[in-house]
Amino acid sequence: MVLDLDACIESLFQRQLLAESVIKEICEKTKELLMSESNVVHIKAPVTVVGDIHGQFYDLLEIFKIGGYCPDTNYLFLGDYVDRGLYSVETISILTCLKLRYPDRVQLVRGNHESRAVTSTYGFYTECMKKYGTSDVWHYFTDLFDYLTLSVVIDNMIFCVHGGLSPSIHTIDQIKVIDRFKEIPHEGPMADLVWSDPDPGREEFAVSPRGAGYTFGSMVVEKFLHENRMDHILRAHQLCMEGFQVLFDDQLSTVWSAPNYCYRCGNLASILEIGVEGERHFNVFEAAPENERPTPAEAQRTLFSNGVPQSLFSNGGGGSNGAGVGGGPNGAMTFAGASGSNGGIDPAQDTIHYFL
Amino acid sequence: MNPESEELYPIAILIDELRHDDVSLRLNAIKRLNTIALALGHQRTREELIPFLDESIDDEDEVLLALAGELGEFTEYIGGPQFAHILLQPLENLAAVEETMVRDKAVESLNKICPQLSQAQLEQYYIPLLKRLTLGDWFTSRTSATGLYACGYPLASPASQEDMRKSFGQLCADDTPMVRRAAATHLGAFAKKVGKEHLISDIIPLFNKLAQDEQDSVRLLTVTDLVAIAEELSPEESKAYFLQTLKSMVADKSWRVRYMIADNFVKLSKAVGEEFTREDLVVAFVRLLKDNEAEVRTAASGQVPGFSELIDKDTILNYILPCVRDLVTDTSQHVRAALAMQISGLAPILGKEATTEHLLPLFLQLLKDEFPDVRLNIISKLETVNKVIGIELLSQSLLPAIVELAEDKQWRVRLAIIDYIPLLATQLGVEFFDEKLGALCMSWLGDSVFSIREAATVNLRKLTEVFGVDWAKQTIIPKVLAMGTHPNYLYRMTTIFAITAMAPAVTPEVIRDYILPTVTNLVSDPIPNIRFNVAKSIEALIPVLMQNPDTAPLVDQQLKPALIKLSEDSDNDVRFFSQKALLPVQ
Repeated sequence: MVLDLDACIESLFQRQLLAESVIKEICEKTKELLMSESNVVHIKAPVTVVGDIHGQFYDLLEIFKIGGYCPDTNYLFLGDYVDRGLYSVETISILTCLKLRYPDRVQLVRGNHESRAVTSTYGFYTECMKKYGTSDVWHYFTDLFDYLTLSVVIDNMIFCVHGGLSPSIHTIDQIKVIDRFKEIPHEGPMADLVWSDPDPGREEFAVSPRGAGYTFGSMVVEKFLHENRMDHILRAHQLCMEGFQVLFDDQLSTVWSAPNYCYRCGNLASILEIGVEGERHFNVFEAAPENERPTPAEAQRTLFSNGVPQSLFSNGGGGSNGAGVGGGPNGAMTFAGASGSNGGIDPAQDTIHYFL
Repeated sequence: MNPESEELYPIAILIDELRHDDVSLRLNAIKRLNTIALALGHQRTREELIPFLDESIDDEDEVLLALAGELGEFTEYIGGPQFAHILLQPLENLAAVEETMVRDKAVESLNKICPQLSQAQLEQYYIPLLKRLTLGDWFTSRTSATGLYACGYPLASPASQEDMRKSFGQLCADDTPMVRRAAATHLGAFAKKVGKEHLISDIIPLFNKLAQDEQDSVRLLTVTDLVAIAEELSPEESKAYFLQTLKSMVADKSWRVRYMIADNFVKLSKAVGEEFTREDLVVAFVRLLKDNEAEVRTAASGQVPGFSELIDKDTILNYILPCVRDLVTDTSQHVRAALAMQISGLAPILGKEATTEHLLPLFLQLLKDEFPDVRLNIISKLETVNKVIGIELLSQSLLPAIVELAEDKQWRVRLAIIDYIPLLATQLGVEFFDEKLGALCMSWLGDSVFSIREAATVNLRKLTEVFGVDWAKQTIIPKVLAMGTHPNYLYRMTTIFAITAMAPAVTPEVIRDYILPTVTNLVSDPIPNIRFNVAKSIEALIPVLMQNPDTAPLVDQQLKPALIKLSEDSDNDVRFFSQKALLPVQ
């Protein structure tokens, strides 16, 4: 089969799913591409860095509308592409296609959600079953996740990773010798890199409340930067109400790119634009309005044939709308009584306890 | 193999696909059913294909849906209308399956075939089908039945018609709400077919019963029926039969019913006539505009201009406008947003003076609303107001607010203003524009949001079309090209996008004298993203330069060498785009 990536990308921008066989081929080809990437990929600025997206497809489109489209703008994505949002499949599909089409313009780093264990619980597996009827697509993507790099270094100055630092890793070279081509382990350096969090109240490593990775403090950060002759650590992984957070006297930043996280946190998001001289600009944005009401096509699927909105017959949002309706789980449509909650999972912080 | 079966060999493959395990192959075959039918010919299609399809009814919903759709278009393939009844059997089965979408499609197809039947076919095949579905055990067949009465009625015999009216009445009184809902949905269409006498004697009682159903999901569906029936009656009759019903619907305890009334209010008013509207509906409309449920107020707001067209000016000023004033400060942002979308529709109705006195202050208030959608909706409809009061008055009163919005922190609001700029430019003239809006247009080129920068470049092209190339040469082109030296590549990109956007609007000379030097400079930009966009830009510039014999040589002199250099670039994407640009000029 001749793969027309440009056509795939165009369909995906219209939020049309790719056929299962196409996804299989795209994942195969992307694995080949990623296989030759080191665990530490070196790139040059300028680049726009993106934090967690979590299946919020319309907000990914918003990122392109604000930061510019690929390939005109260089992008570095720091992981957590799937789970929690309504459109994990579309999100990871389009990012994979963009990486395959423009490998020099797009970098994808692995997040803690790019894992079989986590995606089985937090939504991606369910979404694949719902949208494709079988788990094949989930298998293709989770196999692909095993190939994603663990970190990126920009201009030999900025160390970029999804989570944070590890007590087992003092130098970049130590990252390079990890065998990353497998499911994220429960512990060890690979787990730490995708699970750890900074703690501005401490100086050293400590046990993480997440149950995986560690928290690390100011001395750890200074030592790492000094040892590796770099001046900044850039990561994602933690929700920031303002879209970003700068810690340790500007030695570490968190960038968070999922606005109104889980369609209810009400937070801002940002993308970090890094210039050739190392200039950093956090471009802050809100949730895209397209998240609020279903598109006409979705509305068609949920309407009775007489054109009366489905929600006129429901008792309000509830969690049951699932992926068929564009409104978020809190029933973002304004019809009265739309409160509903999505179950007891605290969206602000994942922990490993949910699936051990 | 003999010649005849050799011809049918590819068709045999298609038929095999119809039985294949893989659902996507079966789906494919169903979508090419007419090809199979054409090859088989009319008779074999009737005698073999249709029965075969009928027996494969237990299949995937997706396949059944496609099948239901195909059958509706199949009359010509089975030999014409005289055989159309053969399609009824498989469609009857499809009309009774569990999946709603398949049933609906089957009903749709049956409605397509029904008009093709002769009266004999109707009585012999269609009416019995209708009976079987109506008396079906499962609610699924009964709901489908409701959608089949309207089209079958006109050609049926008077005895059958009386039967049909009775059976439809039974469906309206069905135990299951799903069936009653379906009946309510289709009552309107049926009402239009039965003729006035039976409309009054049979249908209106059915309507009244459904309009008082205990389920609000049934009641709300009768609103559209009311419109349909009223359209068949004279104004006096409408009033006599529906005044009371309307009053109770407007005051229904379920907001969903009131919502439906509000949403259909204009249609309703047009159906019942002027006197009814004037005497009774104005009061009802005001009630809905003040309803305590925000969704109802939103729907009513949407009907304001349409309804106002049906009443006289004094009534609007005395009754409607006070409500509109209250809605401008409604607590729900969605109500205010809906109002903002519609309020400008009042301007043509009220005329210049009343608009200036009553509406302008409201526009200004909405332009300053804290909810961005409200601001956006007003801006997008300013053209309507412009037509009524003229650009001078509009710009005096609204321009300061517009300029403020051009720097709104919501980028979509800024975008809406940008889209409005060329219109303002055409109306205001070049001097006013340069003085008040020029700086604004340039500042958008440096906006932090890409979509704004992009819109700004398109804006420049449109302004060039309004004010001319000479104006562009002096005012905007120098500034655009100056951005080509910005330290941030995202802004240098704006220069290239602007060049590409403006190329069709400027003369070949302008390209030669002003644009080419910048382009050739950027060929050596250190950032690959700039370089491959230069290649794309050159691709757009070449046809423009070729138009003029004076500038055509420049293609070979400057542009082609630039592309050749880029085609040997170290970056993959630069090579890709420059090689692509070279293809037409090799």
